[in-house]
Amino acid sequence: MSQIRMREALRDAMAEEMRRDEAVFVMGEDVGVFQGAFKVTEGLLDEFGERRVRDTPISENTMVGLGVGAAMAGLRPIVELMTVNFALLAFDMIINHAASIPYMFNGQVRVPMVIRMPGGGGHQLGPTHSHSFEAMFLQIPGLLVACPSTPADGKALLKAAIRDDNPVVFIEHETLYGARGEVPDEGEHLLRFGEAAVRREGSDVTVVGILKMALVAERAAKQLSNEHGVEAEVIDPRTLRPLDLDTILASVRKTNRAVIVEEGWPHGGVGANLAALITEQAFDHLDAPVQRITGADVPMPYSRRLEQAAIPHEEHVVSAALAALEGSR
Amino acid sequence: MSADIVMPRLSDSMEEGTILTWIKSVGDDVAVGEELVEIETDKANMVYESDAAGTLIEIVAGEGETLPIGEVIARVGEASETSAGNGAGEAGAGTPAPKAQSSVAAAPAPPTPATPPPAEAEGPAAPSGAEAEGSAAPPGPGGGNSRVKASPLARRIAAERGLDLAALEGSGPGGRIIKADVERAKAGGAAGAPAAVPESPETAKGQTTYEELSKLQSTVARRMAESKATAPHFYLDAEIDMSRCVSGRAEIKASASEGDVIPSFNDMIVKAAALALREFPRANGAYRDGRFELYSRINVGVAVAGQDALVVPTIFDADTKGLRQIATDTRALAQRVRDGQITPPELSGGTFTVSNLGMFGIQSFSAVINTPQAGILAVGAISERPVVRDGEITTAHLMSVTLACDHRILYGADGAMFLARIRALLEEPVSLAL
Repeated sequence: MSQIRMREALRDAMAEEMRRDEAVFVMGEDVGVFQGAFKVTEGLLDEFGERRVRDTPISENTMVGLGVGAAMAGLRPIVELMTVNFALLAFDMIINHAASIPYMFNGQVRVPMVIRMPGGGGHQLGPTHSHSFEAMFLQIPGLLVACPSTPADGKALLKAAIRDDNPVVFIEHETLYGARGEVPDEGEHLLRFGEAAVRREGSDVTVVGILKMALVAERAAKQLSNEHGVEAEVIDPRTLRPLDLDTILASVRKTNRAVIVEEGWPHGGVGANLAALITEQAFDHLDAPVQRITGADVPMPYSRRLEQAAIPHEEHVVSAALAALEGSR
Repeated sequence: MSADIVMPRLSDSMEEGTILTWIKSVGDDVAVGEELVEIETDKANMVYESDAAGTLIEIVAGEGETLPIGEVIARVGEASETSAGNGAGEAGAGTPAPKAQSSVAAAPAPPTPATPPPAEAEGPAAPSGAEAEGSAAPPGPGGGNSRVKASPLARRIAAERGLDLAALEGSGPGGRIIKADVERAKAGGAAGAPAAVPESPETAKGQTTYEELSKLQSTVARRMAESKATAPHFYLDAEIDMSRCVSGRAEIKASASEGDVIPSFNDMIVKAAALALREFPRANGAYRDGRFELYSRINVGVAVAGQDALVVPTIFDADTKGLRQIATDTRALAQRVRDGQITPPELSGGTFTVSNLGMFGIQSFSAVINTPQAGILAVGAISERPVVRDGEITTAHLMSVTLACDHRILYGADGAMFLARIRALLEEPVSLAL
């Protein structure tokens, strides 16, 4: 085990897979000479050369389209979109091509590609550069969606994504690139998609947090335990499609209460979807309505204070958990 | 920011209160100290004054509802707060205000075609009351109790155990029945109050009518049963020669001018008991939580029938008050009991009780201790009877009294000496006038 940063873990995943499989290559804006806008592709150009680490023009729809074609022809492209915000320019390629082609051709062609993209707010980048689109990608059949919160998960999930024959939207969080964590040095560590992590066990309330909010949920759980005597069970789904609903339902059957935390918007969000699934499948185990903590229902404000007010923090998770427990203690 | 108005503790022994009348209505302005609501406590009906200023934005507990102290009965805040997306606004149903208004987070207001106004969008919004409400009560599988608010889990457990949800009280938000309530009901056997009084069939006793207890009557029932169950009673009987009191009272009456209050025999007994209590501190105390509590003030309660129940107004500092003062106080208090205007402060703080049924011709009786007091003196009628004095048969005005003692604090010999002292004071009543 060694302590490395999320950006190094992701880089290692790509480098290892590129060494293992000649078909794997990386393309995107500034991924080569500049070594990535967030320095995730650092060192890849030196090791693998211009043929497999390709800088592209600023043209997202084209890049993803190139990737779809390359994947259909037998390569395993990793397309880096500088941020999720620019993925909007490539939605036709992502939805109408990457996700649909294997179905339209009855599985005769596969699209084994990974589209990496970092997102999230907190850097005062205003409404157009602070998006969290997990829910949008989650909605599309044919795509797998990963959203790791730790370096170890990031590395293991990215390696699994590269080897998967389905198109994968791989969502990273801009503020987690510098986060350090233990990552195994030796051997192959792949994480199966659809396997949630129980970050903390508890019997009073289930808190599901995705991406950066998985970490917020963990800190809130500590606060709940220290200050309120409430033991929260914290679950990080790690992949949204496929979703490890069984682990979440098992926890809700134990605690009878659920709180879901995400950074994205409330309407039609990850939490809205999960709340519906929990209600459908664990209705008779609920002792309180499922609580959702989401980003504010606004275009992201630029002002630092307003931006912070629009993003969920530990205190919101704590009060939602206590609200779910009202009357029970 | 709105403030919760909660069921206040209006007397020492109060555990719950019933809303009688809302003096203010939703939308009215309320100032601190302004009369807000009339509440029936275990002892009296009280008008409760607001301790918050603003607009009455919600009445949570409707008239006739009984709630434990500390439960929210209304909310006072700014007029604009009435909303919470639930325009209908009339309370009773109890729309829970969002737990933490500051909270980021949480669910959106129900989707509307219009863009949400920026103000509402400010922070991630807390779930609106309306939404919480809507999700709370799915139709029960039985169909019959679809209006009972219960969590799905509580419904399932209740169905499995054959419990009637309608008979349970919910402790969740907005009175929702949650798992804990059903588990409590299970633990306590029959839960809550029976849903409705069944039509009574004709029995050998004829038709039965059922009367619900008033707050006061349930307090009497609870306190009396508690006393007999927890305080080991023993009884001491004595016969007191009241002849000197009788002649003394006749003298007072003869010399009194128009309108003067004439002390009754009971006033004399109260005074005698108060003086004796000064010499027997344990009789003026209580056994509580494994200790003796001994009180510096001597406050004698006088049992009075009234309000279709029993109340015990208190003569404070009876040991230092003159007979006439005791007489005046007692009459005023008894009148207030009859008028239903007595207030909890006038009914609390007693350290000993005198109960007199002499006026009904009762010779003697044993009373139930008004716990946590150490004793109660039950007084019978004064009657002129033959007695033997110095070998001669003569007559005297005799009165039987029975002292009930809580043996945990007032033991046999102490009780006997205490009672002997009362008798001595009444048989030589000059000292009562001092």
